[in-house]
This record gives sequence, structure tokens and C-alpha cells, in this order.
Amino acid sequence: MKKNIFKILLATLLMFVVSCEKIVEGINENPNDIIVADVSPKLFLTGTMLANVQLNCGHLNRIGGMYSGQLVGFNSLYSNIYGYNLSTAESNGEWNALYVGVLTNTRHIAANSTSNLLVGISKIIEGHAFGTAASLFGDIPYSESGNMDISDPVFDSQKDVYTQAIASIDAGIQSLNSATSVSLSEDIYFGGNKDKWIAAANTLKARFYLHMKDYPNAFIAAQSGIGSAIGDMKYIPRGATTITSGDKNLFYEILEGSRSGDIGNAKNGVESYLLQLIDKTKSGSRNHSKTDETARRAYFEINSSGGSENKGVVSQFEPQNMVTYFENQLIKAECAARASGAGAGLTHLNVLRAWMNTGKIVNNSFSSLNYNYAAFDLGDFQSGGIENIDGISADNAFLREVIEERYVSGFGMHMAYNDARRLRKTDEAIAVPFIMVGSNSNLLAERMPYSANELNSNFNAPSEDPGIFAKTAVNQ
Amino acid sequence: MVFTILLSCGSVFAQKTINGTVSDNRGPLPGATVIEKGTSNGVSTDFDGNFSIEISNKSTILKISYTGFLTQEIDISNQLSINVILIEDAQMLQEVVVTALGFTEIKDQQGSTSSAVSTQEILRSGESTLANSLSGKASGLKISRSNGDPGAGSTIRIRGANTIGGSSDPLIIIDGVPLDNTTSYAGGNGQRDGGVTQGSRFNDINPSDIASVQVLKGASAAALWGSSAANGVIVITTKEGKKGDAKITYNTSYSFDQVSERIPMQDTWGQGTGGVYRAGNRDSWGDYIPDRSGAADVFNTSGAFFTADDGTVYYPITAKNSKDTFVESNWDSAFQTGNFLQNDLTISGGGEKSNYFFSLSNLSQDGIIKSSTYDRTNLRFNYTAKLNDWISLSNKVAYTYTDSNRIQQSSTVAGIMLGLLRTSPDFDVSDYKGTYTSSSGVEEINRHRSYRKHLGETQNPTYNNPLWTVNEQVSRTFVNRFTVTPQLTFKPTNWLQVITRANVDSSNDRRVYFFPVSSAGSQSPGEYQEDEIGTRVLNFDAIGKANFELSNDISLTTTLGWSINDRTYLRNSGRILGFLVNSNKQTTSLNTSSEASTFESAKSLRRTNRAYGIMNFDMYDQLFVNFSGGLEASSTINGTFFYPAVDLAWDFTKDTLKSDFLSFGKFRTSYGQVGVQPSAHKFETLAEGGFGYSTYSDPLSIDLFGGGFRLDNNLGNPNLKPEIKTEWEVGADLRFLNDDLTFSFTYYDNKIDGILLDVNLAPSTGFATQYGNYGKMKNNGLEFDLGWKAVDKEDFRVSTTINWSKNKNEVTDLFGTESISLSPGASVSSRAVVGYPLGVLFGTGSKKLADGTLDLNGNGFPQITSEPIVLGDPNPDWRAGVGLNVNYKKFNLNVVLEHSQGGDFSPRTLWVLRAMGTTGETAGRLTLDRDLTNYAGKIVPSGTTVRGSVGDFGGGQVLLDESWYRSGIGGGFGDNQAYNFSIKDATFTKVRELSLSYNLNSAAIKNAIGLKNILFTVTGRNLININRIPGIDPEVNQYGVGNALGLDYFTNPQTKSFLFSVSFNY
Repeated sequence: MKKNIFKILLATLLMFVVSCEKIVEGINENPNDIIVADVSPKLFLTGTMLANVQLNCGHLNRIGGMYSGQLVGFNSLYSNIYGYNLSTAESNGEWNALYVGVLTNTRHIAANSTSNLLVGISKIIEGHAFGTAASLFGDIPYSESGNMDISDPVFDSQKDVYTQAIASIDAGIQSLNSATSVSLSEDIYFGGNKDKWIAAANTLKARFYLHMKDYPNAFIAAQSGIGSAIGDMKYIPRGATTITSGDKNLFYEILEGSRSGDIGNAKNGVESYLLQLIDKTKSGSRNHSKTDETARRAYFEINSSGGSENKGVVSQFEPQNMVTYFENQLIKAECAARASGAGAGLTHLNVLRAWMNTGKIVNNSFSSLNYNYAAFDLGDFQSGGIENIDGISADNAFLREVIEERYVSGFGMHMAYNDARRLRKTDEAIAVPFIMVGSNSNLLAERMPYSANELNSNFNAPSEDPGIFAKTAVNQ
Repeated sequence: MVFTILLSCGSVFAQKTINGTVSDNRGPLPGATVIEKGTSNGVSTDFDGNFSIEISNKSTILKISYTGFLTQEIDISNQLSINVILIEDAQMLQEVVVTALGFTEIKDQQGSTSSAVSTQEILRSGESTLANSLSGKASGLKISRSNGDPGAGSTIRIRGANTIGGSSDPLIIIDGVPLDNTTSYAGGNGQRDGGVTQGSRFNDINPSDIASVQVLKGASAAALWGSSAANGVIVITTKEGKKGDAKITYNTSYSFDQVSERIPMQDTWGQGTGGVYRAGNRDSWGDYIPDRSGAADVFNTSGAFFTADDGTVYYPITAKNSKDTFVESNWDSAFQTGNFLQNDLTISGGGEKSNYFFSLSNLSQDGIIKSSTYDRTNLRFNYTAKLNDWISLSNKVAYTYTDSNRIQQSSTVAGIMLGLLRTSPDFDVSDYKGTYTSSSGVEEINRHRSYRKHLGETQNPTYNNPLWTVNEQVSRTFVNRFTVTPQLTFKPTNWLQVITRANVDSSNDRRVYFFPVSSAGSQSPGEYQEDEIGTRVLNFDAIGKANFELSNDISLTTTLGWSINDRTYLRNSGRILGFLVNSNKQTTSLNTSSEASTFESAKSLRRTNRAYGIMNFDMYDQLFVNFSGGLEASSTINGTFFYPAVDLAWDFTKDTLKSDFLSFGKFRTSYGQVGVQPSAHKFETLAEGGFGYSTYSDPLSIDLFGGGFRLDNNLGNPNLKPEIKTEWEVGADLRFLNDDLTFSFTYYDNKIDGILLDVNLAPSTGFATQYGNYGKMKNNGLEFDLGWKAVDKEDFRVSTTINWSKNKNEVTDLFGTESISLSPGASVSSRAVVGYPLGVLFGTGSKKLADGTLDLNGNGFPQITSEPIVLGDPNPDWRAGVGLNVNYKKFNLNVVLEHSQGGDFSPRTLWVLRAMGTTGETAGRLTLDRDLTNYAGKIVPSGTTVRGSVGDFGGGQVLLDESWYRSGIGGGFGDNQAYNFSIKDATFTKVRELSLSYNLNSAAIKNAIGLKNILFTVTGRNLININRIPGIDPEVNQYGVGNALGLDYFTNPQTKSFLFSVSFNY
């Protein structure tokens, strides 16, 4: 009896044990998310573009703005950073956007899409992101990145990253050359317009050659760059007015949320160098008989107390510049002047000023205010001319004006911060002599810190961050 | 091997029949065991206590035993019929333990450690939730309630940290089946660093239903539960009826609750910065209030204004003259004396073949923050019936309903403490809602007036007025929960018992979040969300248990079991963001645009299949050896895993060392393995939607750009295994002086391999994290328990207990990652860092020189480190609980004290408020007697009267003023602060419980109203609370129930209480 009972028990138990794994099989397939193969490659595009927006228009952009005298950190984190207390944690967001947001997904699109348009766009975004990152950080991982067999990618030299970024853009252009434009709602920059992409790609190449001080190549690329403001690559906010974050102007989001009052360019009488530079009432302002910045100054002024207090450059639906016509035109002006003198550059500058004089540099809220961007003539840059009252060489006076225009127009892009570092050593005469109002202007930030997450997890990362005062290779 | 022994056992030779009855002093005892000594031959008594046994001539002794009674041996050599009266063993009743499978065993024979908490101790504590009532009552058990909100969850830790990425909750076994005790932070709660506190499903248990709580600490006792048991097991048994007349108990309690401590605030400096009053400014570094004229404020009445709901009109202030301050009245408008009323009714009893226990209980609580509520109703019916001599059926049914409103807290601009403590002392929060009229005459209704937007001039007030948080926002949670536990027990022979037990545990938690238009932050356009969280746990167990006498002196109990556990979780969330209609009615009609609404669903499914066996040898009644093993497969694990355990107990006083002094002594040692199961659905890398990118408070959400996907930033892992904790322990239980003095100690040592966590990949790999078996950790510790019955007389009894424990933890490997944050979103984070205990506080600090002194700048101030560093360890050095019970005639006094020694705490609330200038520590005012330099490098000349204090970082005296606290690195936000100065000592001592009761049980009462007795009790909870942090209880936890420790950020405060209760027993 005992034996039998136990035999039955034992047999039953063994049966259960044998079926042990079967009972639990198949349950662990994720019921919530979709498998990658089921998702059309184009659906990965918008995410990469949003990540690229953060890299170009986010936190580090605002920090670069502070370190080039355009913005002032008034409170909390931003006042600390304005005082050069900048830790590696501040780069985590951008670093995530660069690799997790852009690289993984552009590579996925390029490897899985049969559309030349999608492949081309994704390669250009990748190049855009990596060129930007090279300019911000210096040496970064790229050649070994995004490869799951390599858990600790090596850091490539800054110049190599630029070269690879330009190569990725070139590959993208090549794909686009054999593509046809289609309406593509996932493309939140250009809606699938291949010509706009090709032009913007060339402006990007010009930008990165300029960073490397390769002015002849920059000039060549700019020839095929963005030819009119309709071709500008911008981050365009969207959505319902009632929604205040997630799809709005990023600066607006900062001020409309809990960071109100922390950062801006005019608060309680403290104005950034940029605002003073375009303020008619300030001595040393750039206004003169041919230039009136009244409208642009009003457009640029930020009310820090809340996003919704603004109608200008940081208002809720105001687009943010990423790659623009004016940048392309100013690259042409600078490179032409560097190669062949002020006269060669002047044409390009005057074409730009003619466009500026249509009022398109401000939004509708400010276009009724005064502005004037009359054409310059060479005499304006001769010693004693309105752009050369201190009597430097005409070529330098011209270049100085071009750089100053880049400093003003480039507000909200990394342009002023990049120029400050590019020109500081060899081109002091033409650099914008900005100061950081209320902070120590003698300290010059040269790079953004590496992401704490990368330093933390990559054996090939430097043992500690070189610091924000270490010059990167192209700006030695 | 188990089976070989089982199958080779037992052959029976019948020679002679003995008949008899077994009874106790009340009547026949059904189910008592009668065994022929030295054999496996035995029978059970029937319902009338009768038995009949055929015995061989191997022995002339019958052994008669029944749980809770002294075993008797009767010589039957000359008898054919015997009548036995068993005597209750009072000592034995207290010394049984309930094992992880729900069996009752004798504690003195166990080789693994456990601590029991009695039902009396639980009820006497007067806590509204079960977890909190266990505080301080067992060594090695740490209960931390995250805040004083009604119904808030508590973190329970047994023997320190056992996991990094997984849940730290112990396994709760109630009546033999696992209970869902998760704390869900999903859905509209937002990030874990801010939102509302959530209750643990553990709170759904009615403390009045509990017969006993057993805390199984070691791995060996829990090994049968395999991958669910690494955090230890709490075994709960609910009450059952006893044979006899119905016993009716009615208990009512009323509690008064108050905030346990408050942060010292300043009321001498006005709103503004730089010593100048500025209305609408974030900070309170403005003018010196006593220097104001005291006249009425001057207003600009020509432009915009605000009309409060009561008609009061507010204009912009042009000259601040009034000296009025509102620190107290602002506080009082949001806080109150909380209270709860609890009513419990229990009815129990039983007849010959069945017994029943019924309870109905209601708790109705108003928290210390106005509008915070917790209402819980419990219903339970436990019923057992003996169907015939060998089958009994029982069913336990419990139902819980809770309805609670929670108050937003911690890191959210909609939170109460954040809004309240940042408000300038010269701002009156009372008129918080009304109409804003712009200078052009446009009216905006239902605007929110706060200290930063004192006319309600924008829809978003930046921070909430605390009264808006309390009165306008809603965070309701409604829980319906059923548990049904049917069980069939077969006892075909005296040596075999087969139990089949099932359990359904189903709960539904509906959460409603409502933020009216003009709430602070991203909710300012109005937000309404409902989450429906459903969980269902199904469990089935079949257990066979057999006893064998292997020889005269060796007996074996074998248990074989099979268990299947199936858990499903489903959350549906719907949300409306941005209202077209400015109304506080909770309906989706507030915005009918499809663009405004979102729907989200999340599911998780998991199933575990286990078979297990136990062999329990009893040798010479003094050596007890226990082998157990569980074989487990789980849907979340790749492969099948075996969890072995062995323990040994030796009663060395049985033969060897017994003396008058040492009445009992047991040496014990054990070894075992337990695990933690991986999270569900982590095998593959999938396409992820719903993501966003933010670099600093500037999110971009893919959902708002037409939707889209990315490769999940968490790389899939098809090779997941359970994390395995291997533990050994050694200890002894000793009793002296006729058991008046008891002492036990345990030393344990464990290592945990393959800890499951999201390891940070180098972002440059293209993925942010991968979930996998990526960590290692170890613990060792000591536990002491001491009990002393100092006086034990009829009318006067004094007893005391002390428990003491320490745990040393170290994270030993994180797969190349230096640290892992357990508290995402915090600038001072609680982290896993290799070489440090789990949870260390991590953030930027001050640079140091090689000699350990601060690396000061030229002005004598510290400089921040460029990267985050370890700032402190939040784990205590040791913890102790002391209990004292004095019984004098009808009075009983009980004291429970808990002490936690050492450890660090970062009260970031205080740190941020330094920058805001609202706390007492920033209010110093002095006239300098020498030139001092401030953080900005400005030399403030002698004779100047300044707001600040004199500090010295090692480079001579410096001035700590606004430039240090507000704009410098000595207060504020973000990653760029000298947070080393934010770290405080977390040591605390609390008198958890101080209760006095009077038992009215006179014959007069009984005759007059038929009551057995009436018990009156007054209890003080947490009345004495000593710690070293100004105004903040180091027990609070911003991150709620989980592994992150030692952080506070505008977290809702803790409470202290007075409780009165009356219990009627019929």
C-alpha cells in the first residue's frame, strides 16, 4: 500500500518535472513592443531627427551660448555653469542623442531600407550629428561605434571624426543623387525633398571644413550649399498651444517649466554681450548708417520669467535654426575674402544683406520694427570707413564684419561658440571680443565635457575628462 | 536518494489490537497521533478521540502526541484498552514555527533562523498598515516607511540588500501561498522621484486577521521558493476558529496624528535677491523685514490685478512696507491634525467537524496633509470542515477595498512641500485661486496665484501654491482585491498527508490623476489621467508529506511538492492633456480633440513551475538534519535551476550539557541557495515607441511628432538566469534559568552572483543599457536576540527583549561599469558602486588635496569635483530594537524602541532651500568685525552688517552669504554643487510604541452585560524621535519602496500619533 501510493506520487511528480520547462515556454515574448523586423525603416527616421535636434539646439547649445557671451546663466544650474562649474553629467543627454538616438537608428535605416532617399537622409543626419559632436567634444568614439561586438569603442581623433562625418555626408549625397523626392511625413526637416537635403548636406560639409580651417574646401562645398532661406534646415515646433513641452521651442520649454528665470540674455538690467552689441543705445554697438538692428534686438530679447512671456526667438512655436542659408552665404563670404580679399567676399555678404533687408530675419511679431541692412561698399572697410574706424587692414575689417554677422545671426546655433574657439589663436583681429557679463571673461571654454556615462562605462575612455579648458585638435 | 528511502520503508506485522481514547481537559481530541514506539506503525484518533491500533510485539510502548501538547508514552504490555489525557504544553505553543510551506514545526528542532512577531504585538502597535507594525520587532528586519502619508508603502529589508535592479521586497507567504506585495509606480504617477506615494499591496492585509508572523531570514529556510526568495520570506498565518461557542470581539481605535518634525524656517528676510524686495522672485534673499516701515504696502492699481474667489483684489506691489509674515499660517493652511478611526469585528468558533473565523474591519483615515485620505475595508472568512476521517476541506476568502487620495510630493512642481517650503515668508498663500485681469482688461478665470505669480498672471505658476496642491489636484486610488485559498487535505493513513492548495489573488487598482488648468509645470494646460492596473496571481500546490521511523532513534519526515505560479499584470492608461474647458469635472469631455488624448497599455506575463523535496531527519531527539531542494523553470529564465539547502540543529542540552543554569541549548548551522527572477520580457531587442530626448528640462517626445520607433535603447538578452544568493549561517539558541532568560545569535555570510540589473553600456556602443546578470555583491552580519522574564508573578510580570543586528554589504562587481544609479533624476543619487555598500550617495563634491583637506580656491572656498564622487553610505552601522512589557494586575505597559546607528543621509530639501533662502540656516545676520571674502571673491569690509554667517573651510574665515548659498556651490540644484556639505548623519532613535492598557474583566461586567472583558489601550507612536537632521526624519525616502536610500527631496513628512482603543470580547 505504502509503496503503491508513493510510486503514484513519484510518477506524478516526475511527469511534472519533465514538463517543467514546457509549461513556461513561450510566455516571455514581449506582449507590449513590436519586433524590429515588423517596423518599416522609415518609421525610425523621426526619432533620429529629434535626437539630432537635441544635439544641435539643446543644453550644450545653451551652454555654448553662455560661453560665447550670447546668454547669461542667472540662477540654479545655469548660473553655476556660467561660473564654469560644468560637470560631465551635463553631456549625458547629448551623448545619448548622438549614439543611441542618431547612430543606432540611422545605421538601422541605412542597412534595411531599399529607398535611396531614406538611406541618403539617414547618412546625412549621421554626418551632421558626428560633425557637431566632434566640434563640441574633440576626440570621440566613431569608427568602432554602433558595433555590438565592440563593447568599448576607441576614441578617434577629432580630425578623423570630421573626416568620417564628411564621408558619411558624401555617401548620403551620392544616395540622394539617385533618389527621387517623395512626400515623407516622417522627415520633419524637409518632408522628403531631396534637393533641400543635398543643399543642406553641402552647407554642412562647408561648416565642418571651416571648423578644420580648410577654407578652400569649405568654399567649394558652399557653392552647392543652401541657396535660399526656403532651404533652411530648422527644428519646427508644432502641436497644440495647450501643450507646453515635448514638441515646442526648446528654450521656451526650459523657461515655461521649472527652470523659469534660470537663463536668458536680459534680466533685471543684466544684458548679454550679444544684446549690447546690437543695442543702438550702447556704445560699441554695431548699428550705423547702413545697419539698424532695432527689430532683431527686440526679436532676440528673452524674457526669462516664463516661456509664454516671449514672442520672439524663444516663443512657443518659433523654429530653431540648424543649417541655414545665411550660414552658407557667410561661409562663402569668409572663404572668398580669405582667398582673394575683401572684394571677393563682399558680393556674398551683400547678397545676404539684401535678403536680410526683406525683414525675414525676425518673425511677424517684430517685422514692423525698424531694420536696415543696406549694401556695403569696399570703402566701408577701408581705414576710416564705417566698418573700420580703428584703421586695420580692409581685408581684416571685412572678415571682422563677416564674423560679427555670424556671431549675431548664429544666435541659437553652435556658430558663435565654434567661431570663438576657431579664431581665438590665429585670427584674434577678426574675432568678436565678447565678454561674459557678470562672470570671468578671461577664462575661455574650449570644449564640452565628455559624458559621465561614457567615462563610466568605456575602458577606452580617458581616465578622466580633459576639462573644459583643454583645446581640441582643430583649435590648437 | 529521497525516493529510495521512501520506497524501502515500512512493512507492518499485526499481532495485537489496542483500543482507547485520547482527550484533553475539555474533551476528546480528534486527530491525535498514536504510534507504536520505534516503528512507523501508527494511527490517528477519530472525531470522538477514539483509536484502534494493531501492534506488533516489537515494542510495548505507545507514543501519543498532538501539536501543542506534551507527548506521552504509555506502557501497554499488560493492557488492551487505554484512556489518555494529554496536557497542554504552554511552552511548546510559543515555540512552534510556521515553515515556508505553511507547516507548523517545533522551533527548537530547526536549523535555520526565524523571528516571530505575535498578533498581540502587531495589534498593540496601533499602526494602520501591517508592515509598519513590524518595525523594531525582529533582528535583521528593517522596515522603513517612505513618508507619513496614509497608506504609504514601506521598504522591507531582511538582512540587508540582496539585489540591485530587482525588487527588494521579501516574499510574503500567507496561509501557504505567495501574496502579491508589489508597489507599482507605473502610469500617471510620473517619474519615481516625484509624484504621489504609492501603497504596497502588502497594506491590503488586515492586521486584525493575523494569527502569527514569522520572518524567515536565511536562505536555507526559503530555498523551496527558489527564485522568489532571495529577499527572505515573511510567513503569515491568518486566524482560525476554535471549537466552542462563538467568540465575538469588537475593537475600536481612534488615532490623532501630527507631523513628526518641521524644518526651521526664517521669517526675517523678504522675497527677492541681493537684499532687495522683488515680488514674484524665486528666492527669499530680499530685504530685512524688521527694517520695513510697517505701513501698508503700496500698489499699482492702474494695470493688471487678481481677484480671489472671496473677492479680495491683489495689485502689483510697488513698495513693500508691511512687516507681516506668514510662515505659520501658510503651514497651517495645508496641514492639520490627522486622525483615523478603525473598527474591527471578529466572530469565530467551531463545532465537532468544522470551524470558522469571520472578520469585518474598516479604517478611515485623514492624513496630516489636508485632503489626504485612506479608507480601507477588509472582509475575511476562513472555514475548515472535516469531511470524513481522512479528508478535510478549508477555504479562506478575503476581500479588501481601499480608497485613498494622495498628495503630490518630492521632485514635482505640483508637490506640496516644494511649493510650501519655497514660498517666501512674506507671502500669504491663502488666496490661491481667482480671476486674473490683464492691463488690457482681459479676464482669465480659475487662475492660480502663487508666490512667483502673485497675480496669477500666467497659466503656469512655476511652482504650486500648496493650497492648490491640496484642494484642487486629485490623486485617487481605488483598490478592489480578492484572495481565495481553497485547500483539500487528505490523510489516508497516520504517516501520510497530501495537501492540494490553490490560490487566486486578484486585484484591481484604479488610479485617477487630475490637474486642473493652471497647475504648475507641464500640467498647466490641464491634465486628467486614469490608470487601471490589474494583477492576477494564480498558484497551485500539491504537497505530500510522510513520516517514517527508520529505527528506534531515527525518524524521517519527507515532503514532496509541486507548485505552479502564474502572474499577469495589465495596465491600461488613458490621458487627456490640455483642456478646452476650464473646469474641474473629471471627464474626457474636457477636450474632445483626438490630439489631446493618449491611450497606453502594458502587460506582463510570467509563469514558474517548481518541484521540490524535503528530507527531515530526527536523530536521537537531539540532532535534526534537514535537506531540501527545489527544481524550477520560469518563463523569464533560460533553462532550469536547482536550489539546494541543508540545515542542522543539535540540542546539546538533551544529553550532554543540561544543567540548572542552562535549561536549553541548541547549536545550528545551515547552507542554502535562493534566487531572484529576472524581469519579464527581456529576451529580445525590440522596436520601442513612446520615447523622447531631453538634454535639460526640454523634452522632445516622439509621440507628438506623429509617433515613430527606435531600436530599444535597452539591448535584449536571451541568456537571462536567476541571480543566485548563496548563504551559510551558524548560531545558537540558549535558554537559562528555567527558560527565564533566552539568548540567541546568528552569524551569516552570503554572496550574490549574477545580479540582475540594467548595466550601463558605453553609450558609444549605440545602446544605453542591457539587462542581464551583471553584478556581484556580498553581505555578512550578526544578529542577537535577548529575552528576559525579569519578574513572573501572578499579578506582576516584567519582561524585556532586545534585538540587535548589523549587516555589512559590499558591491563587488558591476561588469566594468563603475556605478549604477538606483535613483534616476536625482543630483545626489543613491548608487551601486563597486567596492562600496549598495545605495551609496553619489554626486559632485569638493576637491581634496592628497592630505585629505579641501583643495580651496584663492578666496578660501572649496571647488567642486569635475565628476561625481561617493559622498556617503546610507546603510546603518547597526540597528537595535528594545521591548519592555510590564504587567501589573489589570494594567499593561509596553514600550518598543528602535535605534539605527550611523549611516548618511542627504536632505536635498535643505540644500535647495539654502539657495531659496527660506530656511533658518540662511537667516543669520551679523556685523563683521573684520574684512571677509565671500564666494564671489568680494571683500566685505569690517563693520558691514550682512546676511550670512562666518565659515571656515580650512583656509581661514570666509563669509557665507548669498553668493555661497544662492548663486554659488553651497546650495541649489544640478550636478555642480559641493554636495559633500549636504550629507548628514542618519542616526535616529525612536520610541515606536508606548502603550498602556487596562483590562476590565470583573465578574460584575460579565454578569451585567455578558462580556468576558473590555480592554482599554492608549498608545503613543513615534512620540519620541531623536535624530540629527533639522526638521527631516532620516527614515523618509524620496524614492519610496525600493533600493534607493538616504534621499529626501521635498518628500512628505512622517507622523507621530496618539491612539486610543477599546476592545470588547464576548
